[in-house]
Amino acid sequence: MGLTGSYNEQELIASLKARDDQAFYFLYDHYSGSLYSIILQIVKRPETASDVLQEVFINIWRKIESYDPVKGRLFTWMLNISRNASIDMLRSKNYQNNQKNQEITDTVYGNDQVTHTHIDSIGLTKFLVKLRPEQRVLIELAYFKGYTHDEIAQIKDIPLGTVKTRIRNALLQLREFLK
Amino acid sequence: MDVQEYILSGIIESYVLGLTSPEDSAEFDRMCAAHGEIRAARNAFELELEENLLREKLEPPRELKSRIFSEIGMEKNNQPPRISLRTPALVPRVGFARYVAAASLILLGGSVLLNLYLLNQYKKSIAQYKDLVASQSQVASANQSLQTKLGSYENAMSLMNNPQMVKVMMPGLPTSPSPSSMATVYWNSESKDVYLLVTHLPKPLADKQYQLWAIVDGKPVDAGIFDLDEGPSFVKLKTIPKADAFAITLEKKGGSTTPTMEAMYVMGKVTG
Repeated sequence: MGLTGSYNEQELIASLKARDDQAFYFLYDHYSGSLYSIILQIVKRPETASDVLQEVFINIWRKIESYDPVKGRLFTWMLNISRNASIDMLRSKNYQNNQKNQEITDTVYGNDQVTHTHIDSIGLTKFLVKLRPEQRVLIELAYFKGYTHDEIAQIKDIPLGTVKTRIRNALLQLREFLK
Repeated sequence: MDVQEYILSGIIESYVLGLTSPEDSAEFDRMCAAHGEIRAARNAFELELEENLLREKLEPPRELKSRIFSEIGMEKNNQPPRISLRTPALVPRVGFARYVAAASLILLGGSVLLNLYLLNQYKKSIAQYKDLVASQSQVASANQSLQTKLGSYENAMSLMNNPQMVKVMMPGLPTSPSPSSMATVYWNSESKDVYLLVTHLPKPLADKQYQLWAIVDGKPVDAGIFDLDEGPSFVKLKTIPKADAFAITLEKKGGSTTPTMEAMYVMGKVTG
């Protein structure tokens, strides 16, 4: 179990749905670090990741009513909210403009690698390097960039069925690394 | 579809990580509802993932927590009251805002006091300014009347100092209604102009006026009527070519052709 302290998952969910402040503090204290880590792996920049994490927790607070335990664990639900919010951020005009500026800065000062290397050693990202390159690029596009299987099939010019199979195989390998 | 094969197809991992298409997700939900093994397998992967990722914490910026909870707190205040009354740890959330609010109040208070002080000073200054304007205009008008008086005195002085002036003193007659009366005629021997300086005559009634007479060969000749001004007055009257004496009578307003002898106040003879 990922939970410690005074709540089991059912109690925590019940308290959150009752809008109990203590439950939200507990939620933040226990999960913000992991969610921040995932967000940072997607958006790369710490200040952007902070903004996304803020949005994520406010969304959790707003949408906790709609969380359905039948469909999965609370952490899974929050993880997906975090990933979706991060990918929305990646696609925002604001982020893309900043990214262009950042790339110019990185090119000028030659610090492209320096800025982001520490991210490669955390979370799911560190398993990516263990995958074969053709699998890795698919997970990169699907999970960290948010492209659909259809879009990836077009980008990579490979059949949709192949995209799906390769991604699932890659994920099965990933799961072996997790163990 | 073989359940074991389905479980090992990678659909669970794909679903949990949010990579399935809407159709595949819907199918997975149906399969989960139908097969406890699939639910169990899904739950197992979720737990593995969760335990792994909870070990991968990165500390978000410290101030973010208070930022998030102050925003949640604001939203909560706009919600109907569905929350429990247990509201712990409010202090860190509102601490900074409270300092800002306190500082604002102190600044506002200071500003109000300063404004009151300045307003008071302003009112005082306005009052002082009005006093000054009033006294300045008093001084100016006093100065004006002094200038006028000084002008007439200077005029009188130059007339009296003129060597061609013949001075005829007219004291009050013993038979005068006012024996203490006194007036002086200054008569220019060359231009024959007559100026009268009244030292003292009683104030006449409203329908009366004083009249100066020149006595020529025993007969009175009208030398002009005059009014009494405030203070010693020096007036120019008619030109008299020849005179032995001068006298003043009180006549009806506008003067008379012959003097009223019993109302003769002063008289003086021309000497030299």
